Amino acid sequence: MKILIVDDFSTMRRIIKNLLRDLGFNNTVEADDGLTALPILQAGGIDFLVTDWNMPGMQGIDLLKAVRADEKMATMPVLMVTAETKREQIIVAAQAGVNGYIVKPFTAATLKEKIDKIFERIDS
Amino acid sequence: MDNNTQVQLEAARALVTALESNNEQQAEQQLIILTQSQESDLFQEVGKLTRELHDALNNFDVDARLVDLTENEMPNTRDRLNFVIKTTEDAAHKTLGFIDQTLPLTADLKQTAEKIDESWHRFRMKEMNADEFRLLSKDIEAYLPIVKQHSEQIHANLSAMILTQGFQDITGQVIRQVIDLVGEVENNLVQLVKVAGKHIDNKTKDNKPVDPIKAEGPQINAKDNPDVLNNQDEVDDLLSSLGF
Repeated sequence: MKILIVDDFSTMRRIIKNLLRDLGFNNTVEADDGLTALPILQAGGIDFLVTDWNMPGMQGIDLLKAVRADEKMATMPVLMVTAETKREQIIVAAQAGVNGYIVKPFTAATLKEKIDKIFERIDS
Repeated sequence: MDNNTQVQLEAARALVTALESNNEQQAEQQLIILTQSQESDLFQEVGKLTRELHDALNNFDVDARLVDLTENEMPNTRDRLNFVIKTTEDAAHKTLGFIDQTLPLTADLKQTAEKIDESWHRFRMKEMNADEFRLLSKDIEAYLPIVKQHSEQIHANLSAMILTQGFQDITGQVIRQVIDLVGEVENNLVQLVKVAGKHIDNKTKDNKPVDPIKAEGPQINAKDNPDVLNNQDEVDDLLSSLGF
């Protein structure tokens, strides 16, 4: 399972990367916004996308929409990890087809719970 | 006709009368009255001008400070805030680095302790032969100095992590400077609006449509805003109400 972590802050990428490693996901790649993430995704081989919302260049919500619009990636699980907590934003993310929504600051337990749920739903 | 003009008129009439009657002393006196009233007018006028000049200079002060704020302080503030990002980022990476160094040490201690614990248990249950016991003794002998070494390293790493938290003091000071500056800019803008904005119609407010999903980053006063969710539980509730 290869996971792409997208966040403009390198510390947050590192935290998520370490937490994923603790959960047994050792194969991760990183990008610092939607614009750099998209070519990595289009090149193929990514199974799971973890993205922030608020980033320069292309924002996470637009990256999510771009992923859903591409038939090769339309069903890729996408987990949003963000400080954005407006009701409207969460509704729009849900409508755009996000698979999980984690609010920063978050705990290792929350990350595990949401990832477990995503894969439960995919497996069922 | 104001009081001053009345006085001037009377003095002028008295001056003419004095000159006609050749009364030099009287004429001189009336002349003094006339020039004095003239001077008083002049002084009043100069006073008025001085006040206006003073006000203008004061307003100019506001303008000059605003120009200074825009040209010098603002770019300086951008640098300061970038410094805050850089400093916090460095500190976070440094801390994460010490954690990365420490975790394998604890894993190593735990792993070896588990192995020795298991053997020790077998020894206590008399399930161990002499050769195995010699091996266990060697393992214990090797383990103890490693415990000491690793503990020292863990202690050093934790102490270094404590020191790394010093970024809070540094960035706190810089952020406080920025807060002061924002306060000053606000005050100056209020002054400027008072001075120059008297003619601005209150109705011409900013009516730009607000993008409801514009990224805003962390919500500072979430509790006061009904459009904002406060924690993961509320987000989960909203998503499940949407059929998630």
